[in-house]
Amino acid sequence: MGSWGWVLAGACAVAVNGLARHLVLLLGRPYRPEMARPAGSVAQGVLYAFSWGMLPWAKESTRRHMLAYLRGVVFHLGIGAAFLALLVGPWRAQGAGPLRWALVTLSAGGAMAGLGGLLARVVETRLRRLSTPDDFFAVALVSLFTLAAAAAIVVPALVPAFYGLAAATLAYIPFGKIRHCFYFFFARYFFGAGFGRRGVLRWGKVHE
Amino acid sequence: MSESVQRALAAFRRALDRRVLTALEVCARCGICAESCHVFASTGQLQDAPTARSEAVRRLYRRQYDPLGRIFPWWVRAGEATEGDLDALSEAAFATCTLCQRCAMNCPLGVDTALIMKAARAMLAAAGKAPEMLVQLADAAVARGENVQVFREIYREIVADLEQQAQEQLGDPALRISLERQGADILYVALSGAHTIVPAAIIFHAAGADWTLSAFEASNYGVFLGDPEKARAIARRIVDEATHLGVRQVVLTECGHAYAALRWEAPGWFGGEFPFRVRSIVELLAEYIREGRLRLDPSANPLPVTYHDSCNLARKGGLLEEPRVVLRAAVQEFREMTPSRAEAYCCGGGGGLVAVPEYEERRLRAGRKKAEQIMAAGAPLVATSCENCFLQIRDLSSHYGLAVEVTGLMELVVRALLGARARAVRVPALQAA
Ligand code: SF4
Ligand code: SF4
Repeated sequence: MGSWGWVLAGACAVAVNGLARHLVLLLGRPYRPEMARPAGSVAQGVLYAFSWGMLPWAKESTRRHMLAYLRGVVFHLGIGAAFLALLVGPWRAQGAGPLRWALVTLSAGGAMAGLGGLLARVVETRLRRLSTPDDFFAVALVSLFTLAAAAAIVVPALVPAFYGLAAATLAYIPFGKIRHCFYFFFARYFFGAGFGRRGVLRWGKVHE
Repeated sequence: MSESVQRALAAFRRALDRRVLTALEVCARCGICAESCHVFASTGQLQDAPTARSEAVRRLYRRQYDPLGRIFPWWVRAGEATEGDLDALSEAAFATCTLCQRCAMNCPLGVDTALIMKAARAMLAAAGKAPEMLVQLADAAVARGENVQVFREIYREIVADLEQQAQEQLGDPALRISLERQGADILYVALSGAHTIVPAAIIFHAAGADWTLSAFEASNYGVFLGDPEKARAIARRIVDEATHLGVRQVVLTECGHAYAALRWEAPGWFGGEFPFRVRSIVELLAEYIREGRLRLDPSANPLPVTYHDSCNLARKGGLLEEPRVVLRAAVQEFREMTPSRAEAYCCGGGGGLVAVPEYEERRLRAGRKKAEQIMAAGAPLVATSCENCFLQIRDLSSHYGLAVEVTGLMELVVRALLGARARAVRVPALQAA
């Protein structure tokens, strides 16, 4: 393993260790599940929360802020692609053309969406006032990491920059706002389970 | 750190369960939820956006629980709690948030700001910064449970008067209102005031239900305080009463928070399901109508009616279709508000706001969105099945010049029931002629 391999392994260890700490913190808090006789289905609610409920037209808020929501979706798809690019990095040379271009497109698109989001945070008064310095930093860092992922596939000379940004992103995950990627699954579960149990969310739609 | 701040932080620690912690951690501050809150939608002020509200709690949370918040507080906007912070939080949690959960339905990540605000209310109540009126109402309810014997005797006399009123209204001397009758099928829990007892008595009698009246009120102000001890003590009175009487169902009057509290939250306070079902009178009305146990004449309610979904019954309670079953049977023209059901806007009076006189101006301002909705529906009569919503919409009508009347579902059903009876008497008379 080369020196970048060690750096990335170290960053990965920080991320995993930090997220494990969050898991311990979370599981250390009391769990107060609802004990009332259910009126609906937890499973249907959870299914809704992770599928239909994420579609842009499923909620009034995302219908209203369609552009911002889609920007977020593209950004997160780009982040996923960038991590995939990192994972398949050692086999970059052997990579099939369509996969390479899919990764380039997704991560470049993600980077643009991320940088667009950053710009919105600076320009829009409401967003700027809601944001903490950590928010600006985290979005900038992850956008650059995503951009570097796309660039490094096209220009191999940029691979060290990509690895450096990947290491920084990984190491920062447990500390700043990026850790919402971990809590997301719990939040959506609680949301789906709660409203599902009460018969408000059903598969395919909010009961409206 | 002052003593009240210490008490607040200790209460926060107790309230910080997995769901609250997740809600605090997961927010990305994207701002997408802002307009889903009726308060922000009405005022347009950033401090009324759900994120801004919950950030006031996150500030304290990060300082206590987030390493980065302890080392570099400015980086994540963490802050040591002060008396001033708690006062500001009281405004966010008690005066302007109705705990309606509309923002939770609209957050792409699932952040439940109402849950965070409930934790904030618990903190503030512990620090002595909850509205005095809510504290007094909760304490009075607890005291009533402790002195129940004295109170029962007075109540028995009141019930006898109400029985007479109901008999006269229905024209049936066989109608009875029993108080805490052993072995009845239904224990009906009303609010203070004849308007929640007389119509229910008429409906139960007409449907041939085996019911008895509770000696207690349905409302639970402990829930508004976010104080699980008081909430449990208030709920316990009804739970013990129902268990002692051996009823099969506890039926709550048209009161949103009472339903959400006893139906959904209370089993958790007592460690498991109750030996009886908890239902809203709205469910029973729909059931009686579906089973053909109530003969209704919708022409007795000729004016167009629109329905306001109480957040506690609909979004938080799952009673979405039942009110519509009732309205379609009891009124001549029913017009939906848009949006409705789980997506309905809060009227602005929930979360205990209606009970606190000093919040009046704020809750009327926050109700602008609902006032617009009512206006758009264009119906002169607004039905709702929650006492708080009833009071708020009545106030909104005079504040915004809506010129609408507000009514409950029971009232509409009673009118339709009496209309059907009058018609039944008229028709044979005509036939005989
Ligand atoms: S609560 Fe949800 S929608 Fe609102 S700012 Fe936070 S993540 Fe965005
Ligand atoms: S719970 Fe209701 S009142 Fe409170 S922030 Fe959310 S939408 Fe607004």
